[in-house]
Amino acid sequence: MIGIRRAYVWAARLAVAAIFLGACIAKIRDPESFALAVHRYRLLPGEWVNLLAMVLPWIELTCGLALLAAPARWRAAGAAIGFGMLAVFTGAISLNLVRGIEASCGCFSTRADAAVSDGWNLVRNGALLWLAAAVFVEAFRSAAARPPPRAPL
Amino acid sequence: MRVTMPAVERGEWLRLAGACAGLLGLASALGIAVNMLHPAPTRLPWVGDWDHHIETKAFRAGIPVTFLAGARERVTDLAVAIFDARLPEQYAAGHLPRALNLPVGEADERLGAFADRLTMETPIMVYCGGADCADALDLAVKLREYGFTDVTLYPGGYAEWIEYGGKSVAGGQP
Repeated sequence: MIGIRRAYVWAARLAVAAIFLGACIAKIRDPESFALAVHRYRLLPGEWVNLLAMVLPWIELTCGLALLAAPARWRAAGAAIGFGMLAVFTGAISLNLVRGIEASCGCFSTRADAAVSDGWNLVRNGALLWLAAAVFVEAFRSAAARPPPRAPL
Repeated sequence: MRVTMPAVERGEWLRLAGACAGLLGLASALGIAVNMLHPAPTRLPWVGDWDHHIETKAFRAGIPVTFLAGARERVTDLAVAIFDARLPEQYAAGHLPRALNLPVGEADERLGAFADRLTMETPIMVYCGGADCADALDLAVKLREYGFTDVTLYPGGYAEWIEYGGKSVAGGQP
């Protein structure tokens, strides 16, 4: 049972990390198009759109790397931030669907011909939220089990 | 697999908060630094002029907006009327399949010619040259004022349609 759980958490780590690392590439390569994708959600005042477009892909990148290769506490932080981002993305996509905005989610592609958001995006994000939560619990538990480093005398 | 939170001391939560702040700070610094290293034409300004973006103006005017996928669907849906708001010579040089030319400045005089093809409920999509042209939005607003109830703007326009491999039709009004 412990072996299955460990394999499950590893698979969850790899899946969530791969999603974040895959998602940041297009946004980093074309920040202007990503800013337009952020603007299309109509959730942020115009003054904040560009700043978010500059920073968000790099948060995804650092979270992805932390989930893959960082010690437990940093991994837990990556999972917590990733969970928060996924929750916000899911809320924003839901709002777009309710408002009938035919925009792409801007998740993996910033191209104009990216697929329009639909219910499938919500299902995928729901699964990712679950996996991110599992990774967080495992990493946080591991971090808590280790005593904090002592300050030198 | 169930996800259950372990009971941990308060200090661990503080250390987690510190790690979160560290990751967010590192990512923000990287993002801002990389943007500043971009050459000027591709560098994002701190504050974008989103208030004057055509999609913001459409949103304020209550005109729904569609993008490339939606435009492709509408072009193949024979129930949708498509209006090209550009000048006749631009239209003749190339336009979206099935599009009818209705320059915004001549809408009053020329709309009557399409009366047999339209009802007030006919879904309409309007476009012009691209994201930096306002003619399609002006035409959409005008059509709404005439009483058409289902008018959608395609802000990507002809430029985006062609950029992404869309079929272009040359010639005058069908």
